[in-house]
Amino acid sequence: METYDLIVVGSGPGGYVAAERAGSLGKRVLLIEKGYLGGVCTNWGCIPTKSLLHSAKQYRHTLEGEQYGLEAKGLSYNLTKAMAWKQDTVETLRSGIGFLMKSNKVETLFGEAQFIDPHHVKVGDTVYATDFLIVATGSSPFVPPIEGSKLAHVLTSDEILSVEKIPETLAIIGGGVIGVEFASYFSMVGTKVTVIEMMDEILPMMDGEFAKLMRREMKGVDFKLGCKVEEITPEGVVYTDAKGVRQTIASELVLMSVGRRPNVAGLENLKLEIARTGIAVNDRLQTNIANVYAIGDVNGKSLLAHSASRMAEVAISNIFGTTRQRMRYNAIPWAVYSLPEGAGCGLTETEAAKRGIAVKSQTVQMRSNGRFLAEQGKRAGGLVKVIADATTNVILGVHLLGPYSSEMIWGAAALIEAELRIQDVKEIVFPHPSVSELIKDACFALDHTL
Amino acid sequence: MAQQVVMPKQGNSVESCIIVEWNVKVGDKVAIGDVLCSAETDKSTIDVESTAEGSVLALLYKEGDEVPVMVPIAVVGEPGEKVEVASAAPAEQEKEVGNLEEMVVAPLSVTPSQESTGSSPRARALASSLGIPLSSLYATGPKGRVIERDVLNAASQPLTPAAREAALKQGLAAPVAGSGIGGRVLASDLVSPVVAPAAPSLPSSPTAEGPVTEIPVKGVRKVTARRMMASIHGTCQLTLHAFADARALKSLRAGFKASKSELGLTDVTLNDLVLFAVSRTLVDFPAFNAHFLGDKMLRFSSVHLGMATDTERGLLVPVIRNSQNMSLKAISLEVKRLVAKCKEGSATPEELSGSTFTVSNVGSFGIEAFTPVLNVPEVAILGVGTIVLKPNEAKDGTVSFIPHIGLSLTMDHQAVDGADAARFLKALMDNIASIDLLLAL
Repeated sequence: METYDLIVVGSGPGGYVAAERAGSLGKRVLLIEKGYLGGVCTNWGCIPTKSLLHSAKQYRHTLEGEQYGLEAKGLSYNLTKAMAWKQDTVETLRSGIGFLMKSNKVETLFGEAQFIDPHHVKVGDTVYATDFLIVATGSSPFVPPIEGSKLAHVLTSDEILSVEKIPETLAIIGGGVIGVEFASYFSMVGTKVTVIEMMDEILPMMDGEFAKLMRREMKGVDFKLGCKVEEITPEGVVYTDAKGVRQTIASELVLMSVGRRPNVAGLENLKLEIARTGIAVNDRLQTNIANVYAIGDVNGKSLLAHSASRMAEVAISNIFGTTRQRMRYNAIPWAVYSLPEGAGCGLTETEAAKRGIAVKSQTVQMRSNGRFLAEQGKRAGGLVKVIADATTNVILGVHLLGPYSSEMIWGAAALIEAELRIQDVKEIVFPHPSVSELIKDACFALDHTL
Repeated sequence: MAQQVVMPKQGNSVESCIIVEWNVKVGDKVAIGDVLCSAETDKSTIDVESTAEGSVLALLYKEGDEVPVMVPIAVVGEPGEKVEVASAAPAEQEKEVGNLEEMVVAPLSVTPSQESTGSSPRARALASSLGIPLSSLYATGPKGRVIERDVLNAASQPLTPAAREAALKQGLAAPVAGSGIGGRVLASDLVSPVVAPAAPSLPSSPTAEGPVTEIPVKGVRKVTARRMMASIHGTCQLTLHAFADARALKSLRAGFKASKSELGLTDVTLNDLVLFAVSRTLVDFPAFNAHFLGDKMLRFSSVHLGMATDTERGLLVPVIRNSQNMSLKAISLEVKRLVAKCKEGSATPEELSGSTFTVSNVGSFGIEAFTPVLNVPEVAILGVGTIVLKPNEAKDGTVSFIPHIGLSLTMDHQAVDGADAARFLKALMDNIASIDLLLAL
């Protein structure tokens, strides 16, 4: 029987990073994947959506570019070509991961893993033994048991990435990150989009003020908040609105994006402790079984690709290196790649209030920024908010809505991780002109002293 | 010719003494036998007398300094005489802090004086040069002392700006490694500094209204404070209470009191009788006539009874040596001799050390039972209470009241178990109940 130092099941941004890090330490690693290398992120999530969103944004900017001198005639959006570009991107990255595994001497095995016990995994007819096991099986779109949810025109985020034609109308059930990104994409390429959200605001992790502006800026999308979907028919979606009135909207396609569930089926033999949100782990990503670690979406702690990658590093460090490393969740940035973009890191005021932390905050308008004004114009909306501890002045949260947000937000993570205070951030030199200067402006708005 | 006065040798076990208070200052005239200073050993306070006559030319140590015995502490000579002071103090300190490893692994037998517990001189010097407040340091030295290593740790420790501010403002200490990025110490990682048990930081000023008298803690009070705290901190104390039939005790005492004075028994007290019973009972229970030293226990074949004694200077514990071989009369006489010496302050360190078991009697105050604190490293201590009447039901159902004496046995559960202690206490109760028979043995 082949024996490994580590077997990793699942090759998403959690699994493949774990395999890569362990391989680079000279460990004997087996990475098992039932689909494609890269998991949901590379194949059906982060990457393909970014490819499509970028093409749609280019299309939109060109259409609206007349105000700053861009005249285009006969402009159209070719979905087939956009999909081909997307596919090429995905395949390139996928093979890149394969190369990465090879160069780190990670053995890759394609097939469904059967967990025999914490030290043995079977693929096909072969059993592989291991000292340590990392479960990185990810999550899948959750389809609630609504009548009509099995109809052919009801798609999840997986299937909608292979539509062959841009629909006239699209109803999106669920206004989370996935719902909002697809709403943004399809509205940019001409679809009439309706987002039906059960809560009274979209994007729960976003500051309320920002979410409101986000809805306003996504002009082509109709948001139905506080609405409960009752039934999906071949013609459209039936829901009860916030006032309790039954409504119907016609829709050619329906996207079901109400959330994701951890992939925990088949893990029974490991006798892991599994909560509703995922496999229970400690801050070293260790499960109740000492040699089994669970990282990424499957533990439900933070359903983000970069969280999974960090969890992979923490787990590998605890297995093969120092046990000093712990997973910290207080400074994990998130981003929505819609138009406009939004990003955040740390606490919102609502969350701070829930935890009983007294905070102070300042919001600045992006149009006060040189670069933003130059590129977006006077009427565009955008916000930057900095939240700090009311007594210690430690930066607790940074929220952005506007261009480059996703590229700037790592800086906020650095501020929060380093526990910098308002006065410390004011001493950092930000490049000019850049939208990032607004973070410094917000800090000065919180405290004008030098 | 100037003469040096040395710290006198105080028995065989005392290696150093702490100067509590100087009674003289430079320029004072002293005669041989004049008390120059009081000094304390870990057992008692002694007076250091001048061994020379003349004028005090120099005092070589400050109050609070710990001085090894036979080391010069003062110089006495003709006024104006030139003195070459070869002070041992700085050299001693160098040695003490010179080797950090040694300090951490095995605290030197010359322990620092209480005043300096908290930080070593090197730590203080380094902290001051780096501008690090001592209060913000995490102490890893013996007895919670901040040592040089702690300062170096703090100096090289990556604290976040918020953590540094919180440490300074709130006097919190940073652990060696934090939970932040790259092991940075976050504000939430800070902890309250470890305070040495012997030098607790107490509220600086009382809030009570009215006149306040400040009494410095020194001498016997300080020794007692340290030893009691060490006892409570270092042992697992458990106390058993019982009452022994005191009829024989009382009638014997009454008999002695009425006896002819030439027999020399009229002054035999109830306490003497209890001490006698304890001395005989311990012989059968060697586990209680013992010292617990952590990695080993010492059992003694002789019973050296410590006797807690209340004096004006504070609590002293003189020792009745080889009590198991002494007659009741001999015990009684030895107790009186020792108590008298303690009260006048002339008990020697030898007389105040070496006990294997201690008895503390507060019965004369009407206390029935209490929880005596172990006189470490002893395994047990007996508290003796007052005599009270206890109802007793005879076989025929008649109830009578019988005098009983309170016995409280505190034992170190590290060394012995509850049942052992119960057996010992039961034997003692039986021996006290039939003390008249025990005397005949």
